[in-house]
Amino acid sequence: MQSRMHPKYYLSQDIFDREQVKIFRKVWLFAGLASLLPENNSFITRKIAGIPVVIQNFKGEIKAFENVCLHRSAPLQQGFYGRRALVCPYHAWSYDATGMVKSIPDCDTIYRFSNEEKQSLKLREFALKQLGSLLFINLSSEPMPFEEQFNPGFVALMKNAANAFDTEVMVTTWHGKFNWKLVYENLRDFNHVKFLHAKSLAAVADFPFHAANQVDLALTPLSDTSVAGLRKAMRPFSFGGPEGEVDPIRHVPWLDMVERWGTQDAYFNWLAYPNLHIACGNGGYSFTIEHHIPVAPDRTDIEIYFVTAKKKKPYAASSQVLLSNLHYSKKILDEDIGMLEQIQSVLHDDAPIPNQGAYESTNRQIERWYTTLMEIEHEI
Amino acid sequence: MKSRWIVGGGDQLGLAYYAWKQARQDEDVQKIEVPQGADYEFDLSVFDQLNPETGDIFIAFDERFGNFKRMELFRAALARGFSLGPLISASADVAQDVVVGKNVFIGPQAVIGHGCKIEYNSVIHAGAHVGANSHLRASVWVEPGVQIGARVEVGAHAIIRTGAIVHSNIKVGKGAELGWPQLYSTDVTDKTVYDIRYDEPIYVYGS
Repeated sequence: MQSRMHPKYYLSQDIFDREQVKIFRKVWLFAGLASLLPENNSFITRKIAGIPVVIQNFKGEIKAFENVCLHRSAPLQQGFYGRRALVCPYHAWSYDATGMVKSIPDCDTIYRFSNEEKQSLKLREFALKQLGSLLFINLSSEPMPFEEQFNPGFVALMKNAANAFDTEVMVTTWHGKFNWKLVYENLRDFNHVKFLHAKSLAAVADFPFHAANQVDLALTPLSDTSVAGLRKAMRPFSFGGPEGEVDPIRHVPWLDMVERWGTQDAYFNWLAYPNLHIACGNGGYSFTIEHHIPVAPDRTDIEIYFVTAKKKKPYAASSQVLLSNLHYSKKILDEDIGMLEQIQSVLHDDAPIPNQGAYESTNRQIERWYTTLMEIEHEI
Repeated sequence: MKSRWIVGGGDQLGLAYYAWKQARQDEDVQKIEVPQGADYEFDLSVFDQLNPETGDIFIAFDERFGNFKRMELFRAALARGFSLGPLISASADVAQDVVVGKNVFIGPQAVIGHGCKIEYNSVIHAGAHVGANSHLRASVWVEPGVQIGARVEVGAHAIIRTGAIVHSNIKVGKGAELGWPQLYSTDVTDKTVYDIRYDEPIYVYGS
């Protein structure tokens, strides 16, 4: 059967802009790790769906604001990560935990703002949700409830794992030359593992999957295209758990240095649509957090966070453990990224529409939802 | 005749072995490979036959695992009472007042300016230049031809790869890896890794 995904969905700037408004500025997105914000004034900055965001710790309370000063539009915080009060470096306007202007040097003598004017100066604030160490953000002025987007079982298991993350985090970014949707189509397709990763991942793990026998519901049009219906249809897109069977975990000394999460020898995956994939290939000893950031129709940044389970106590070579595991993960990811870049490189407006099999029904469901959303007037 | 046991593995073992043989024709220089298990742990029983009263050890192992594997062997030898004298190649140009720690290797044609301090277990390969008054802390790895300016501070376990040029007066954090062939002109934070296989530096946050 033919996919609904016309090549324009991977190539068009107009479609990309529509996605940013209709999906990325409406739904809950992964935004970073709370473990990078351990103390008062710790901050991280991000650009999410084109909006510069600062996420900052105010005496234990974590808040997200637009990272733009209300005076002359300078960024309030600079750099990915740091520790500094929320004060603009340009003319020293400072802001409090509610985003209100706290003080403006020489306000009465040179700005002469009325009290009313001063009261109206408030940074745009964004909704945040914390699951263990994972931070999610919603850029909408009326954010949908978190529970509407993700089902409770999925949230509970992911939160449980995220509570086990260590506070030492390794971070890097790859600049992929492909459309962000290709990543998710790939992640929901276990059939590629034994071919593309024959010598790497497939040598140590198995990912059983099946092709459903029943009639594929995703073949008919989406029945409820109301806002509520579109939100409800989205929920099954995020799922996770012990999806792969792994060989017995080979003992290396660092495994004894961490508190393993759980006891199941399995390959765990969590996919939180639309921008997060967490993989744990060794039954709870370490976690790769992949954050996918659409940059352009044919550009996706892949921000990788690597953590082990919580350390029992600090040890000197812990960052080298993270580094060698990151190098290993990169080997497998490079195989995926290489393929996705090849796919993107041969796409054109007239390219053949993909043909899918029965086992690709999850992708079909998402494609049905996605194409409906892209073509209708209203949003979610 | 005093023995000089070159203990370690890989290319570095051969390199150090021939350098010592050339430097000390008055000694009985032998190389000893340390076996590693599937979990990368060393079999330290090779040290059992060696006696600090009849000779000295030099540890020769590369930078893998952030120089921690070489450090492991160094500590094992130190604990057994060996003095771990350094090797400075005859053709290296090392200023007279340079302080050189235990088990340091300075390769041929390396140039080390006055006032430098090279702490224990560090390796400076052939042709590397280290400017005056620079300080390399313990277990650093500097590859052939690297250029380090004057008054540079290099943190413990740092790795500086061929092609890197380190500007004067900067600080390279501990555990950092400068693997992109480029000029480094601002301080590098601890544990930051520039690896040519990656599009962006790798950072470590928290502890």
